[in-house]
Parts: sequence; C-alpha cells; structure tokens
Amino acid sequence: MSLRPDRIELEGGGRVLFLENPASPFVSFQGSLPAGVAAERPGEEGVAEFLSRLLLSGTEARTARQISEAIEGHGATLEFTVAEDILFFRGRTTRRAAGKVLGIAADCLFHPVLPAKEVDRVRAEVLTDLGRERDSTRERAERELLGLVFPGRHPYGRDPKGDEEAAKSIEPRRLLEFQARCYGREGLILALAGDVDGGFVRSTVARALEGLLPGPPPEPAPPPAPGPPGSAFVDLPHKSQADVAIGRQAIPRRHPEFYALDLANLLFGVIGIYGRLGQSVREDKGLAYYSLSRLRALRAGGSLSIIAGVNPGRLEAAMAAISAEIDRLQSEPFTEDEIETGKLNRIGGLAVNLERNAEVAAALHGIEFHDLGLDYLERYPAIVNGVRPEEIRQAADRYIRKADCSLAVVGPIGGKTFAL
Amino acid sequence: MTAGPRAESLYRPPPSPRPRGSRIDRVEVLDNGLKAILRSLPGVPQVSVWVVYRVGSRNEVPGMTGSTHWVEHMLFKGGGKLAKGDIDRLISRIGGKYNGFTDKDWTMYYETVPAERLETALFVESERMRNAAFDPKEFDAERTVVISEREGSENQPEFLVEEEMWGTAFHVHPYHWLPIGYKQDLAEMSRDEVYAWYRKWYAPNNAVLVLVGGFDADRAAALVHTYFDPLQPEATPPAPRFEEPPQIGERSAEIRRPGEVDHLEVGWKIPGWTHPDLPRIVMLTGVLGGWRGFGLAGSGGWTPRANRLYRGLVEARLVSDARAGFELRLDPSLLTVSATLIPGVRHRDVERRLDGIVAKLRDARPTAREMERARELVRAWDRYEADGVTSQGFMIGQLEALGSRETFPQFLDRVLAVTPEGVRGGAETYLVDRARTTVRYRAEAPA
Repeated sequence: MSLRPDRIELEGGGRVLFLENPASPFVSFQGSLPAGVAAERPGEEGVAEFLSRLLLSGTEARTARQISEAIEGHGATLEFTVAEDILFFRGRTTRRAAGKVLGIAADCLFHPVLPAKEVDRVRAEVLTDLGRERDSTRERAERELLGLVFPGRHPYGRDPKGDEEAAKSIEPRRLLEFQARCYGREGLILALAGDVDGGFVRSTVARALEGLLPGPPPEPAPPPAPGPPGSAFVDLPHKSQADVAIGRQAIPRRHPEFYALDLANLLFGVIGIYGRLGQSVREDKGLAYYSLSRLRALRAGGSLSIIAGVNPGRLEAAMAAISAEIDRLQSEPFTEDEIETGKLNRIGGLAVNLERNAEVAAALHGIEFHDLGLDYLERYPAIVNGVRPEEIRQAADRYIRKADCSLAVVGPIGGKTFAL
Repeated sequence: MTAGPRAESLYRPPPSPRPRGSRIDRVEVLDNGLKAILRSLPGVPQVSVWVVYRVGSRNEVPGMTGSTHWVEHMLFKGGGKLAKGDIDRLISRIGGKYNGFTDKDWTMYYETVPAERLETALFVESERMRNAAFDPKEFDAERTVVISEREGSENQPEFLVEEEMWGTAFHVHPYHWLPIGYKQDLAEMSRDEVYAWYRKWYAPNNAVLVLVGGFDADRAAALVHTYFDPLQPEATPPAPRFEEPPQIGERSAEIRRPGEVDHLEVGWKIPGWTHPDLPRIVMLTGVLGGWRGFGLAGSGGWTPRANRLYRGLVEARLVSDARAGFELRLDPSLLTVSATLIPGVRHRDVERRLDGIVAKLRDARPTAREMERARELVRAWDRYEADGVTSQGFMIGQLEALGSRETFPQFLDRVLAVTPEGVRGGAETYLVDRARTTVRYRAEAPA
C-alpha cells in the first residue's frame, strides 16, 4: 500500500486528500472546518461546541430523524466534535453510500436549522456533562491544569463546553451567527481512506460537496501568552483516588523542535508502559496504575503534561517519584540506547499505527492541516532518524522542567496542598 | 414463532466482500493441545498475534476474586528467557503495540507488529505461557498497582453501577463479581496462590493462538511449532459448576454518593452464546438502542439515534445518553440499558418511560424499516470488525474462547434472518419484570 496520498482542490474552495486501500471494503473519512474553540470571539465561549452538538438536529431539507435514519439505514456513521482549532466531522460508509453520507454531512454543516426542542436538549446535555466532569477526578485535574497553563481565557485553556452560565444563556441566533462566520468552504479539509480512488473523489465526493457555501476561514488562535506557574487543589472526599496533573506550555506542531520533543516525551512518559515515568512510578515503586506524559502540539502552541492516578496516602511519595524523574533528565540524560529505541519505535510504529482506515484518514487530515506535504509519511523515517541525540536531550531539558510547571490535584485530599 | 411473508422478503444476504487476501484460515493443532489459527493476508504490512486463555473471573472463587487479572499483570514482568522489562523493550523497538485483557470468560494478550517481526511476538507469547517469573518483590509492588487500578475505577460512577448490577443480578454464579475483584481479596492474596492459579490455567491445551496479517502461512506454522511445541500441557481444570438459579422476581439496588449527576442501569437476564435465541436478542438490541457490536473497536465512538431508546429518552430530554447492549458470554448473562439522567429528572420518570418502551416491544412487532436498519447496522459492524489485523485477531480469539469462530458466519446469517415477530417474541420472553434488575445511582449534595 502506498503511503503517498492524492490531493484534489475543490472548485470554489476546500481540499480533499485520499489514500486507496484496495483490500478495504469501505471508506473512513475525517473532515474539518476551522471552527473550533479558537474561532470563538469574546462572549461566544461554548458556542462552537454547542453548535457542533446540534448539527445532526435537522437541516432546511431534512429533519433530525430523517438524518439518523438515512445514515444508519446505510450502516454508516457520522459524528461532529469540536477541538481547540477545528470542528471535526468523522464517519465511515460503504463506497456505494458515500455520496449520500457526505452530502448529508455537507447539508448538516451548511444548512442547519436549530429546532427549539433540540436546542433545549443540547443545553441539558451540556449541563449534564459539566456536572459529570466536575465529579471526575481525572477530567477535572486536566481541565484545571489547562486553565493554569494557558492563562487569560486562551482557547487552548478553556473548556470547549464553556461554563454553566454560558451553557444556560447561549441563544440560537448566536449559534447561527457563528456558523455563518466560520463555516466557509475555503477552510474545508476532507481526508478519505479505504475503498476510494481519484475518479470516485472527483465525481461522487466532489458532487456531494457541491452545496458548500463560500467563505474564508476565520482567524486562527493567537499564540498563547506565557504565564507564571500556578496550582489548584480540589477536595472530593468521596473519591478513592486522587488525580495529579502537572504541565506547562510547549510548542506548536510546526515548531522546529517538534520531532526532538516528541521523542523526548516518548522516552520520558509514553514508550513501553509509560517510559521512564511509568518504569519508576508504576513498575518499580507500585505507586500508581497510570503515570504518563502527553505532548499536545496544536497550531498556535502546545502543552506537555504528566498525569497520574494515585491513592491519597501515597500522593507525596508519587509526587516525589515524578519529581525525581524530571530531575533525572538533567543528571542522567537519555542514553544512546534509549534514543535508538525511541526512533525505532516511531519508525516501526508507522506501519502498525496505520492499520485501520480511520487511522489513515486521521493521519491524512493532520498532514493537510499542518501542511506537512504529501510525501510526509514517506519522509517520516528520515525525519526521525535525522534528529540528533543532543537535540532530544536539549528538548527534554528545555520543556520538561519543574520550575515551569503548574500543578493540579483533585481527589480526597482534605485541605492539603502540594508542590513538586 | 412465525414469520410473516413480508418480513421474509426484506431479508437480503450480505454483499460479497471484495477480495482481500485469503480468508480461509489455516488451523494447526500441536501435540501439546495448542490450537493455532493462521489467517494470512498477503501484502498486509502488519501482523497481530493473540493468545486467548480459557480462564476469566468466571473460574474464580470467593477469596481469590481478581486473581486472573493479577496474573495478567504479572505476565508483563518477565520470566524464562525474558527479564523484567524485556517485553516492553522488544515490542517497543519494533514499533509494536501490545496489551492484555482480562474478561469474565477469558484472558487475552496481543502484539501487533510489523509483519516481518512475527517471530518476536511468538517468542514473547511462548515464554509467558509457562515461564512467568512471579518474582515475590515484583508481586508485592504490583499489589498496589492492581489496587490503584480498582480505586481509579471506583472514582467513576459507571463502574460502581456496573459492579452493583452484576452483584445484584447474580447470587450464585461468579459473574457476581467483576474481573478486577474485591479490594479485600487484592489486599490479602498471596504470591503463591496467584502463581498456582497461573500454573493451573496457563497451558497450551487451555489456549488458542491466533495470527492475522501479512505472513507466509507455511513459514508461520513452522515458527509456531518451533516456539510452542516444547511447552508442556497441564491437566485441564474442571469447568465451573456454578449455575445461576432462575431469577424469580425483580431486584433493585441503590447507590448514594456525593456528586451532581444521576445514573440508571436496568438489566434483564439473557441466555449464553450458544443459545438459539441469541440472534433475536441481537436484533432486539438493535431495534431498542441501535447495534454497536460487542467487539473492541468495531463500533467506534458514535451514537446511534434512529432507535427507540434515543427517541424515547434522549429526545424527550430525560437523559443525556442511553445505551443498550450485551456482552458475549459463555453462561447466561445480561442485556442492559444504561443512561445518564439530566439534572432535575427523577429516576422514576425515566423508568416509567423505559417501561413503556419495553412494553411496546413486547406487544407489537417492530416495523419493517426498523428491522432493515437494525440488519444494516449488524452488517456494517461485521464489515468494520474486519478493518485491521488487531481487530480481526481479537474477534477470532473471542469467538474461540466461547466455542469456535467457524460458527460465526452462520450466527450472522441467523441474526439477519430474524423476523419482526422474532424480535417481539424475544422481548416477551426476556424483557420481563421477574428477570429484571435495576440499579439507581443517586448523586447527593456533599455533606
């Protein structure tokens, strides 16, 4: 199977990437518009997410029930979700039904109607989710951390759902204003994988997207401003376990240090059962079931975070172990053998992590969104091999540092506070 | 049951799949009893290796709950030719992914690796089958990890509801507890007890090896013999003798905890995998809540909406989500409906509405369009389960643990041939109050 996708620019705006897998009997798709949290203006907090949850609720031509019956009647799926930079639409379908399913997706995006009953339903759903999140130690710790890492209500630090006040006050008029401003076809990216080819894309797919409305993409998110490290401690006494989240701002996806930091993060808290961090905190000391790190590299910025789920009686010990592992990056930098393992993992993983159509579609989407080039997957091994060990160690040294990190702990912690 | 002629005419056989390499599996049975299933897919750049052991929490006894899952943890810690950390290193260096899963009926391990590294995965699985070290120091360190896994689950209301559901619905059968086990058992079980559990159940004659991906079948078969022929079989332990007596009345349980969101789960007893009524329970589930399958990844993260639960509960703004489903089980099990309540909605309002939905299923046949949609979702699920070698390996392993993968195509045919009257009859037989268990999770304001 080739690793180089084809790309077609749609007349009137929009780009389609596709990669054929002759062995596959269906099509996975992942599309987007730049209408995520970053597109919200002041006073619009929560609008992008709220609208995304309404997109299957009816169009000028179809009721919500007609939409779900048409999609499921073909055994297809279609979902809309919001992330920091973009609105995603994802699904799967047979080749035979793809034109219809993508046509429905386009109709939902560009001609939504917002029935009052459905607006009320989504409002109740968002409020329920906010309540559920407040009671989840892990989700709340991660949410608190992002608010500290991206201060000043930056889109990367906000809950996409907004807050309770926003959810209660969002009106259909503001949702439609947002849709009219941000859902232009010039920002459309659609990636397809599986039972597809050029003729199919140029005819069936292009025809399905004919009804898209013109419009330029909104301004992307501004780079996040730096802020001082902060901390948040939330006592939920009825829980069995506390969740710890530690993190700081990192770099955007197109930053020159991305591949070095990606490898550093891999070795620090991902590879095997969670890299060095998991080896110490979980394997050697038995302090947590999960203790791992995560790099999120977005369009305008990013974050590097560490999370761990810990028994409240072992919090101090777990934080000391995490702290020691961060310090060890300076005292015992990654060895040549570790770095070689990390590179082999990333390169070997290219085949392993692209085994499903949905995984291929997501990779193609990322290639276009971040402008990585159609030959990106072919170049990837050389890119990884070209990162010098010293660059990986420097990236770890620069971005995995206690002094820059914020801290959130949520769980049965009483009035305790903690520090790294 | 009778099938109306109109219903019969709606049945269409599933479309023939496009050629995607050989789908005829090669089966090797080794002298030590290990069954190996080889699905060669020429040109596919990955291979997925699965080993399924016919042991799960179903085989446990009180005092040892969670022992099967603990064994799974210990099997990543070396033994034989593998030192601690070797599995992580070997698989990581080739870019592979790997994991283990402990279920009520089975335990599975897998590695998905680049196709040319098949031998590495076979080496790992052959070593862990009989030679796991169970180092006492490692065992003690893992005790807190396993307990931590349980405590993390306890933080989630959905886990508490599930544990209460199975604990209330099953009084005698080991489905009474979940694979993670009880905390007091995890705190007290000894290394020697868990090691004995491992030696008892982990043997080639109690396992099935599954290979799916881009390999030459002859070469792969030779490698299987090289790595697994030397392993000695064990005396097969007897099957569990526990049988759940028929439920003779409605049961309910309540959980009260601080929080903001209420949950509800309702379960009805259904038969095990081999029962002839299971196909119509699949269709009944599809009409009720949309068919999402029972696999690892086939269903993905989507919400079916063209079904009675979504329309009756979610569109009515009683709950924010509602699901119907069941697990493939060796023994009689549960079909469950679970929902998250909108703040301010009372459990009895949701239950009353659910009662109405279920009564309608018992009283009248679903429409032809509902039936066709449910069939299409089943066909789609079968299609998407075959996407990727990992997913195929899991499905084959799961079916082998329950009986044999060979019967699955016939099972699907039987599902697709279920009539509207079959669905109605299924509801009348199984969605009955005397076999129902209800768990209400009530969130209370913090003290």
